[in-house]
Amino acid sequence: MSQGRPTPEVSQVPREMVDFEVLKTTGARAPRLGRFTLGGRKPILTPAFLGNTSRGVIPHMSPDNFGRYAGSNGVYVALEDFVEKHPEKTPPVFEYNVPEPLRRFAALPQDTPLVLGARRTPPIPTPATHTNTAISLLTSVGYKSVSSEYYAAAARKLRPDVVVGMADIPFGQATISIKRKDKMSDRTEAWLRHLVTTRNTMAVAPGEPRFDIFAPILPIERDLQSWYLEHLLDDMVDSISGLAIYDAFLLDDLPDALHHLPRLSLHVPASPHELLRQVSLGMDLLTVPFISSATDAGIAFDFTFPPPETPKSSVRQTLGIDMWHAEHARAVTPLSKGCQCYACTKHHRAYIQHLLSAKEMLGWFLIQVHNHAVVESFFTSLRTSIDAGTFDAHVATFEAYYEPQLPEKTGQAPRARGYHFRSEEHAKKEKKNPKRWNGELGGKGKAVLEGAHGQQPEKKQEMMHVIDDEALIDLVGIEHGAEAVHVEDLKIEDDVKG
Amino acid sequence: PSALSFELLGKCSVTKARAATLHLPHGPVPLPIFMPVATQASLKGLTPEQLEKQGCRLCLNNTYHLGLKPGQATLDAIGGAHRFQSWPHNLLTDGDSFQMVSLLKLAQVTEEGVRFLSPHDGSPMLLTPEHSISLQNSIGSDIMMQLDDVIVTTSPDLARMKEAMERSVRWLDRCIQAHKYPERQNLFCIIQGGLDLDLRRECTAEMVARDTPGIAIGGLSGGEAKDEYCKVVDTCTGLLPEKKPRYVMGVGYPEDLVVSVALGADMFDCVWPTRTARFGNAITSRGVLNLRNAVYSTDFGPIEEGCQCTCCRPPEDGGLGITRAYVYHTTAKETAGAHLLTMHNVHYQLNLMRLVREAILEDRYPAFLRSFFAKLYDDKSKYPEWAVGALKGVGVDLLSD
Ligand SMILES: [Zn+2]
Ligand SMILES: [Zn+2]
Repeated sequence: MSQGRPTPEVSQVPREMVDFEVLKTTGARAPRLGRFTLGGRKPILTPAFLGNTSRGVIPHMSPDNFGRYAGSNGVYVALEDFVEKHPEKTPPVFEYNVPEPLRRFAALPQDTPLVLGARRTPPIPTPATHTNTAISLLTSVGYKSVSSEYYAAAARKLRPDVVVGMADIPFGQATISIKRKDKMSDRTEAWLRHLVTTRNTMAVAPGEPRFDIFAPILPIERDLQSWYLEHLLDDMVDSISGLAIYDAFLLDDLPDALHHLPRLSLHVPASPHELLRQVSLGMDLLTVPFISSATDAGIAFDFTFPPPETPKSSVRQTLGIDMWHAEHARAVTPLSKGCQCYACTKHHRAYIQHLLSAKEMLGWFLIQVHNHAVVESFFTSLRTSIDAGTFDAHVATFEAYYEPQLPEKTGQAPRARGYHFRSEEHAKKEKKNPKRWNGELGGKGKAVLEGAHGQQPEKKQEMMHVIDDEALIDLVGIEHGAEAVHVEDLKIEDDVKG
Repeated sequence: PSALSFELLGKCSVTKARAATLHLPHGPVPLPIFMPVATQASLKGLTPEQLEKQGCRLCLNNTYHLGLKPGQATLDAIGGAHRFQSWPHNLLTDGDSFQMVSLLKLAQVTEEGVRFLSPHDGSPMLLTPEHSISLQNSIGSDIMMQLDDVIVTTSPDLARMKEAMERSVRWLDRCIQAHKYPERQNLFCIIQGGLDLDLRRECTAEMVARDTPGIAIGGLSGGEAKDEYCKVVDTCTGLLPEKKPRYVMGVGYPEDLVVSVALGADMFDCVWPTRTARFGNAITSRGVLNLRNAVYSTDFGPIEEGCQCTCCRPPEDGGLGITRAYVYHTTAKETAGAHLLTMHNVHYQLNLMRLVREAILEDRYPAFLRSFFAKLYDDKSKYPEWAVGALKGVGVDLLSD
């Protein structure tokens, strides 16, 4: 049934620097196994993935359910989700005076490793250019520029376990000049240096942890960031605990002297195949934004690593099931056979299909739980496979067995959240949340929302509520006061079987 | 035949309030009770476990919605709505006529049933008492509601009101006739008659004579004056047998609940607590707080001090320790924000009824009512007149000291 984790014990042991132990490797540019340990947190066996949060939560998953079902190996949180637009306004979370404000604020379990970065992953390009001291963020109400001082102060205040150094990357820019690339590495170095100084001079009570720093590795050629890398090695390497890598293919160029550090990928993968590629290049911790985007589209993952041993078929199998399809409406089967997640052990496809088509939020939650479980077991088995020395062979069968991409999205996503509007597709002039049937009946009027069961008209402003319930929007669609239409030969859909 | 037993445990010595345990096919439930509304077999993003954790053992589904989606054939194939939504506790299905008639202005009521156009695709539909019961039999709800003919209580057309009341009685007979499983599902009648007390009395007598396992008072919560509402409830409960549960449909504001209990009602349902959560509204004993207001952005207290819901309980007690500031941070931006407030609001309503029940069992309900209103309003002058009047009618003077 529920894969409840035992209540985490709050460790009293002061946290040391990240301890990363490479357990197995076959050389550079090869998959490796490791153990990533933060004092007081659950150790992570790598390669593994971090849960990708939005405003401090895994989308669709309330924090209690995250603790209960997601079993994720830690989370990635973006500062931009907590910053308010107006410069004079201090982000509310900064005023929360408890030992670990960010963790407490977002109600994250005590044993979950917490990694803070400046931007969401993937970041939405911002129109403002970066300066020598600041980058541009996208907050819930608009763009805001944030200086490296601000970022370091935020890290000091929020006390995540790991802080990813602020990187000067002009996201969304198609071509970047050599001059600009020089600037990227200069600024990133200066900002990292500032973060390191801030952390190292932070006054903390004895035994109280500071935070660990992951140094960004820029998505540009090695010789263009060689100065930065040299300085990193010369005088910062002792102060950093890991690397945040924006382009997995640059692992090739990573100086040997940085190989002992854990590598966090901020290189956005599009598919499980790309995850395997990153792992094969030696990535340790990965972020997998496609989990939530698939969930939003109603796609339930259906893949295992290595693929099941079934008679060879000439058609490649799909990586996910589109749960919008009506064919699932009567299927009393789990999303994936054998999956031990909450959604698969407690519910079935028929219910999940119903929830999606009824626009009930629980549908997305169940798919989200399942998709996280599938990716979790994908990583578990790829670790086993690396250990057994069968990884390359399994990757080959995986690629032969499954389609290269996740299925096309057909269904409607849940109501778009703020950050969805600003993606590149935003340029299209479409209605953000189009309604389905427009409520018109034989050309008669528009939908009018009128009283419903349980609605009690109330004069008090705070008690008043508009009926916009998705369920009721479906029920309305008929103009108030329109004269009755006489309909003959009425039939209830279910009468047919009688 | 009936599939429930009503165990009366205590009565208030002043008001008409009662405390009981209702033994239903999927377990006992305490009365008085508030029932959250999971219209489409799901409660606003909560898992059955999350709903259960807030103390819920009886919730509503909507017959008409489930009849459309997933449809009767699917419900039959899966074996009913409990299995469909993995809810091991009790379900009540709403007969829907209220929604059909007041919501769908194009609906047309004939003796045969309610004709209307599907809001999904505009296709013509007919809902008859037989069809409603057949659907509810397929759903397998522990409590089923009859199909009734409802018109808004504020309608001035007394003749139409009388017709609707009498038709509801005839439809009850058809429902009873059509009910296939009276030994495992309880069919409740619904008293109609608008705000006309004579019609209500007449209807009550007809309904009581048909001896259903439970009795509902319907057609209310449609915008009528609150004192009129109270008169109807008071009149009906005065004529009802003591040993049967009394359900007032569609009622859910905290002050309505405590007053209606004093007037002798036992069961309530309302979508308001869960719907309003989606707009950032938190129900507390001091009133409703809209947590989207910027003043809460730096309020690091719980939604309500001392609340034992999953959100408000501190982490040391196994809760999440959610702050008002965090609800402000997520509400209307992430669905999880709505899930959090939904849990709190459901818990608030269920806990309120638990406190009500304790007070009745200890025969201190009048004192409970006084302290309830004193918390909700900072001054006696702000007490709603209808509540003061209704409670005076059952022996509690809120304004005295
Ligand atoms: Zn699953
Ligand atoms: Zn609470």
